[in-house]
Amino acid sequence: MRFPEILAAALLALVPAAHAGANAVRADIAARLAAAHPGVAPSDYALGAAAFDAERRAQLEANTPAPEAAGILAEGKRLWTRKFKNGRSLAQCFPNGGRRIAAAYPQLEAKSKRIVTLETAVNQCLRTHGEPILEAADAAAMGAILAYVRSLAEGQKIAVRVATPLAEERFEQGRRLYFTRMGQQNYACASCHLQSAGKYFGNTALPAAPGAASRWPYVREGRAVTLQAQVRECLERMGAAPFPAGSDELSQVDYFLTALATGQTIRPNAWRPR
Amino acid sequence: MRAALRLLAIAGALASAPVSAQAPDGRALFIRPDKGNCIACHQLPGAAGPATKADIGPPLDGARLKGWDSEKLRALLEDPARMVPDTVKPPYGRHRILEAAEIDRLVEFLRALP
Repeated sequence: MRFPEILAAALLALVPAAHAGANAVRADIAARLAAAHPGVAPSDYALGAAAFDAERRAQLEANTPAPEAAGILAEGKRLWTRKFKNGRSLAQCFPNGGRRIAAAYPQLEAKSKRIVTLETAVNQCLRTHGEPILEAADAAAMGAILAYVRSLAEGQKIAVRVATPLAEERFEQGRRLYFTRMGQQNYACASCHLQSAGKYFGNTALPAAPGAASRWPYVREGRAVTLQAQVRECLERMGAAPFPAGSDELSQVDYFLTALATGQTIRPNAWRPR
Repeated sequence: MRAALRLLAIAGALASAPVSAQAPDGRALFIRPDKGNCIACHQLPGAAGPATKADIGPPLDGARLKGWDSEKLRALLEDPARMVPDTVKPPYGRHRILEAAEIDRLVEFLRALP
């Protein structure tokens, strides 16, 4: 564990005693949310706070498409199709120029036994072709690229299945991180996005975990905010040192959240207020 | 008429004296995001604090807090998981989010709520 100091005070009150497997975890979470919010369709979890808040939903609809999304997508497309020094491009690293690939990420790479997120895949391509890699947390470059690639999969169903013992292990690592209380505030991600999902923190309804992998990135103040960036923001709010951008821990949380959302529709680049 | 109004103002000030003498610090601790930030989860009655939609914790008022003496409230704020293991309330004392004196002021504020 990279940050034992922030996990030292961990309490696993929300965690089932034994890992029951990804399918059972998904079913259990879906059942708990359905019982707590019988009026909310699971497909609406992708709306984030707006799934639980009619006023916010009206604001979201009034800001669809997000006013600043077009500029981000244009920049993302430019970077995606930009020729490397060797004449290749990011688009040429992926099947179909990157169309519909986002639905299959993150992936478990058999050789390295690590989770490969979209960020990792972009950097693997850059490295292969001798280009400088991008910071995973760089909203202007990596954020714009991922906004564009995710837009090429808009409307696709997320297809991240946990099909092998190693995949189960990675899912479990992500789940444990998600349910582990950490930081000065002693929250787990699950404290807000499962235990208190749909309740109001101040004037904002808390989004439910199964929607997180559908809606990223969202567009806030002219920037694409990726799933990893969201998790890092939450960790800061929890009073914990965020896992580094591009770290295995964030990849595992990404994998857990995306597997949780398998079958849901990708709905990226939506407006979100500060 | 003016004298009557003045008398009324003085009477009003006196009536609220026990609360206002202690509330400012406790109220600020309740509201400030870098302190208790209790307002993010709990609603306060009437003019005791800003109106929000917060509902993670129960709304707080004098009636709800009637059965909570200072010791019990202090223990709750110090380490709420000792009373409610799966609570999402932060351990204000145990994790040093608030100093002991700040917890005392918060307790005074809570016990003075209408």
